[in-house]
Amino acid sequence: MNPGTIERLGATIGGIIVAVVAFYALYKDWKSIGVENQVFKLMLALLGLGGILALLAALNVVGFAPKGS
Amino acid sequence: MSVAALAHDAHGEVDQLYLETRELRLQGFLLFLVSDCVLFSSFIFAYLYMRNSGQGWPPPGIQRLDVAFAAWNSVVLFGSGATMHYALENFKHGNFMRYMLLLLATIVLGAGFLGGQAYEYNHLIFGEHVTWWGSGIFGASFFTLTGMHGLHVFIGVCYLTVLVLQSAGGVYTRGKFFGITAGTLYWHFVDVIWVVLFSIFYLL
Repeated sequence: MNPGTIERLGATIGGIIVAVVAFYALYKDWKSIGVENQVFKLMLALLGLGGILALLAALNVVGFAPKGS
Repeated sequence: MSVAALAHDAHGEVDQLYLETRELRLQGFLLFLVSDCVLFSSFIFAYLYMRNSGQGWPPPGIQRLDVAFAAWNSVVLFGSGATMHYALENFKHGNFMRYMLLLLATIVLGAGFLGGQAYEYNHLIFGEHVTWWGSGIFGASFFTLTGMHGLHVFIGVCYLTVLVLQSAGGVYTRGKFFGITAGTLYWHFVDVIWVVLFSIFYLL
């Protein structure tokens, strides 16, 4: 297994975990009130989006990968 | 339970000053984050403007950035955002040991991200000869933005290390923990900025 494949595998698994954890935390905090909780909800949504983007990048759906990586 | 009911200091007495200034400090900290957001936004829009006004991207002689390592390193940073969020939640619910472990995990992941960034810089500068000063708009904008973000991550790691020391010393109680809330907000902010930087440099 070359380093590129290991990086992609790690990013795939990590991306799924991050997205699930972030959206679950968002779901749990959904009804919370107050300024800081609204900011936390926004940040968690964007964190989940980041996890999905990393997952899509690792799966070669988005981004650039040199041949053989 | 309300904040007021919990706002006791280490000796069990109600901390009136904390109660009266907490909202004000929160607003001040959020304003700081907004100002930091403006700083990053100006650099990001300058980069996007220059990128779209040139003759193709990346400029001739420079290869596109490989996304595999960046995706892995991004997941490390995003993972630290998740651990930091749950560190705060555990502190709120009185699970001090779990809070400390998650906070330490956040520091390790943050430092790991910085190590990954150093590795990528090393590869770009010495392997592909892409430099801040000699690769035109691409090098200047890439190293400025990612370097500025890396500096924020470094400051965050230092801040979280101080939080660990303060928490171990009993500075924060269940009703008086604005420092931890501010640290979590800052760390989430650093994560979210990276979502944008990762998208514009590696995915577009």
